[in-house]
Amino acid sequence: MKTALDASGTVRHIRRRLAARRRLVTLALLAVLALTFAAALYLGDYYVPPGEVVRSLLSPLTGHVDKGIDFIVLNVRLPRATLAVLTGMSFALSGIIFQTLLRNPLASPDIIGISHGASASAVFCIIALGMSGLAVSLGALSGAILTALVIYALSWRGGVTAYRVVLIGIGMAAIMSAVMSYLFTRARLFEVQQALGWLVGSLNASGSDDIAAMAGALAILLPATVVLVRSLDALQLGDDTATALGARIEAVRLGLIVVGVAYAAFATAAVGPVSFVAFVAGPIARNLLAGSGKGFPQAAIVGALVMLASDLVAQHALPMVQLPVGVVTGLFGALFLLWLLVVSNRAGRVN
Amino acid sequence: MVSAPASVVTTRGTALALGLFCLVAAVVLVAFLSITVGARPIDLQTVWSSLTAFNPQSTDHRIIWDLRLPRTVIGLAVGAALGLSGAVLQGATRNPLADPSILGIHSGAAVFVVLGVAVFGITQLSLYVWLALIGAGIAMLVVYSVASLGREGATPIKLALAGAAMTAAMQSVTSAILLTSPRTLDEIRFWQVGSLAGRDMAIFVQVAPFLAVGVVLALASGRMLDGLSMGEDVARALGQNVGRSRAMAGLAAVILAGAATAAAGPIAFVGLTVPHVARAITGPNYRWILPYSMLLAPILLLAADVIGRVIAPPGEVQVGIVTAFLGAPVFIALVRRRRLATL
Amino acid sequence: MTRKFLTSLVFATLALLPGAASAEPWGYTDGTGNTVNLDAVPTRIIASQDAAAGLIPLGIRPVGIYADSPVADAKALQGLDLTGIEIIGQAWGEVDIEKAAALAPDLIIAEYWPLDKAWSGGEDVVNALSPLAPITGVTQGDSVLALIEDYEALAAGLGADLSKSEIAADKRAFETSLAAFKAATSAKPDLTALAVWAGPDALYVAATSGAAELVDFKNWGLNLIDPEIADDRGYWETLSWENADKYQPDLILVDNRQAATMETALAQPTWTLMKAAEAVAVADWPAFWLRNYRAYADELDKLTAAINAADENLTQ
Repeated sequence: MKTALDASGTVRHIRRRLAARRRLVTLALLAVLALTFAAALYLGDYYVPPGEVVRSLLSPLTGHVDKGIDFIVLNVRLPRATLAVLTGMSFALSGIIFQTLLRNPLASPDIIGISHGASASAVFCIIALGMSGLAVSLGALSGAILTALVIYALSWRGGVTAYRVVLIGIGMAAIMSAVMSYLFTRARLFEVQQALGWLVGSLNASGSDDIAAMAGALAILLPATVVLVRSLDALQLGDDTATALGARIEAVRLGLIVVGVAYAAFATAAVGPVSFVAFVAGPIARNLLAGSGKGFPQAAIVGALVMLASDLVAQHALPMVQLPVGVVTGLFGALFLLWLLVVSNRAGRVN
Repeated sequence: MVSAPASVVTTRGTALALGLFCLVAAVVLVAFLSITVGARPIDLQTVWSSLTAFNPQSTDHRIIWDLRLPRTVIGLAVGAALGLSGAVLQGATRNPLADPSILGIHSGAAVFVVLGVAVFGITQLSLYVWLALIGAGIAMLVVYSVASLGREGATPIKLALAGAAMTAAMQSVTSAILLTSPRTLDEIRFWQVGSLAGRDMAIFVQVAPFLAVGVVLALASGRMLDGLSMGEDVARALGQNVGRSRAMAGLAAVILAGAATAAAGPIAFVGLTVPHVARAITGPNYRWILPYSMLLAPILLLAADVIGRVIAPPGEVQVGIVTAFLGAPVFIALVRRRRLATL
Repeated sequence: MTRKFLTSLVFATLALLPGAASAEPWGYTDGTGNTVNLDAVPTRIIASQDAAAGLIPLGIRPVGIYADSPVADAKALQGLDLTGIEIIGQAWGEVDIEKAAALAPDLIIAEYWPLDKAWSGGEDVVNALSPLAPITGVTQGDSVLALIEDYEALAAGLGADLSKSEIAADKRAFETSLAAFKAATSAKPDLTALAVWAGPDALYVAATSGAAELVDFKNWGLNLIDPEIADDRGYWETLSWENADKYQPDLILVDNRQAATMETALAQPTWTLMKAAEAVAVADWPAFWLRNYRAYADELDKLTAAINAADENLTQ
């Protein structure tokens, strides 16, 4: 009796400690994100003193208007930073959903072909159909969804296993890359540049319509994610008979895949296939949590942070050249993961 | 069942050796096709007379000698190199996804070529060779040493992750350069698709020594790969130095993949698919998988090249595109049929 | 150095004066029919690299230029004095909005590409810059000469003095070169020419109607061979190097945006299947980058020399 009590006491104690760790990590991440956001509003070639930044942010309330500064703060820096946060969250959640479902840190949408599908579709729209703007984004969106469906259908053999999805995804990625390379050799340089610019992913010229679309998508997808993840947990802990459970788990998993594709697709449509954010956010968050949680919300914050910080670097690292954010996320994320591998002594426990 | 009768083993060995012989015949056949079929129709008689009595005044003869022969030779060499390097990598890392492109070797080669074009204004294919080899070597070295850190050494998952990280990093650098330099983009977009066209014998001569060394190293590592495939502990118990085996196999793979990439650009699907096909035929024995991969890959590559030459006249479709479309479905079919996760 | 500085100072003053002196409204209608109206003649202009190449020789100096490559690599800007002009973009699709805003521009000048329905720099750049100032410019059409004339009209509207001796001299030099070019082509009525881009994978034969300067050459008497099947956008026919002798011109024009194109061609064993290539009847094709009289005159002179040297009966 005594030992049982002790055990439950220990469990409660561990739970408390884990919860404390979770809170600490979340708060620390939020604090860093807030600081980076502030830096994004302050830094720039057009010098605006901090006081003016705050005044400009409050100008809709106070009615105090300075056209030049308000343009820089409210029309350039604020939308850019906001879109970075929203798309970063989106990429991260898409990545961690796939990594969790397929139990493989490789299985983020930018590795298993979904991003490639979006990209190939967009490049086709730009080069073969001569489209631009919203049409390209819609093309990318349908490309991502179509590729995901094809991968899922090809992986289906009385159920879907993680390794089949990953391998078939990589096969699809190769086909899509070949399509893109071919289109690149068949177009004029002007269109190739246009397509390459799209492919790298950029936050340049972030507009309110991008933000509205992204926020609208998140308003639907976030609650859906919470519900689906909770019910997946409940099902895996529950004690229903195996078959009934199996069918319901499969339905929930399918639901999560749809949500995961939607995250990736909307973010890609907004800013292009910014590389590596989906890939790194989950592993980073789980490493910080050190086993104290599944890490969905934390991964979302990490994703936002990676995106925002990378964009700051992309804009200000080189004095004469502004780079697209995707160049830096790739470099940043890759270096971070290499470092993670270096410090990680636990092989195979990277996620 | 535990101890198979000796006769069964021998029969299997004979069958596999016979299969190897058939593959050699198939290689000769595709090489013949590659010389006779092209965007320009040339009849068999002319092809024959060009080989027996070369006439420099004849346009058709010049096309056979200046274009189709080099391209066939390079196709055979590149194909063999890609197939072998894929098989060796898969065996050494015990990773079904191991492939020059997945382990970041292609992207390492690509970034050095791009840097060479953008920064030093290099435009000759012959100089790409050195750049690609250096890039491939550095990429593999970084990927392998990063993945080997830690208690358990280079596990498949760590290798694949390190390779993916390398690829992402290198692609970012490549994109940054290409975006700021349309001049380089214009050069590179034709190289990075992967093609056998427009390469002359000089390129083959340049990569040939590397290929020879790579082939010898790779074929010699068959026994070690068989040891590794039983698990590292078994391999160690058999008296094998696991680290050294891996290093040698890795070196072979880098040399082969680097030289192939230099000669033909990054051709992505051959190294991944062919070893799986070979394994499906031969079973899990690297002393057979390696020669089978080495012969199957040039068949795939040259057949793909011939198809690419005739499907879009008067132009051509690059071989890298065709192999992706031929190789990927085969690969997907294999994934659906067999359990690949256990190597 | 001092002279250069003084010249640019004079240009700057000239560009400023009309705007300062007259507060009369200014308007320009671009090729798409959109009219930009301003309260005064704009003096603080941000230009795309091509627009800058069109305007600077006419005495209109923009305050900022955005390019899609390092400015040193931009063929159109070669030989132009860019001192004192802020470079606000050197990568495709990227422009430093804050630098642009700090320049306080009152007009953005780019070029409109009707086929792509896009302003130079692409949609991202336009979206970034258009909140700062209205965007306008000339439209790409089927003649470089017409494009340069459009720039003259635009520059004149912006207050440039086109009768200034240097500007007028450039135009006269072009007219002389043009007359020589026409004389050369009419002296060799049977001469045929082919415009190509040489890639490592294939030979790309240009369709005349896809490049404005080729249309000009054709109108001035050069018999350009048109490829049989151009791609779906009407720009190129792709020839496998095995079929490099499909067309036999007397003179080959090779895209000269990059020196590497010529090297690629020479490295191909079948390049010389074209008799003109074997006879080295090869000249530069100034593809897509000409924007002013001086550059055009230089390129025409090279072409005229090549036509005079070519054998019109090399092929039938």
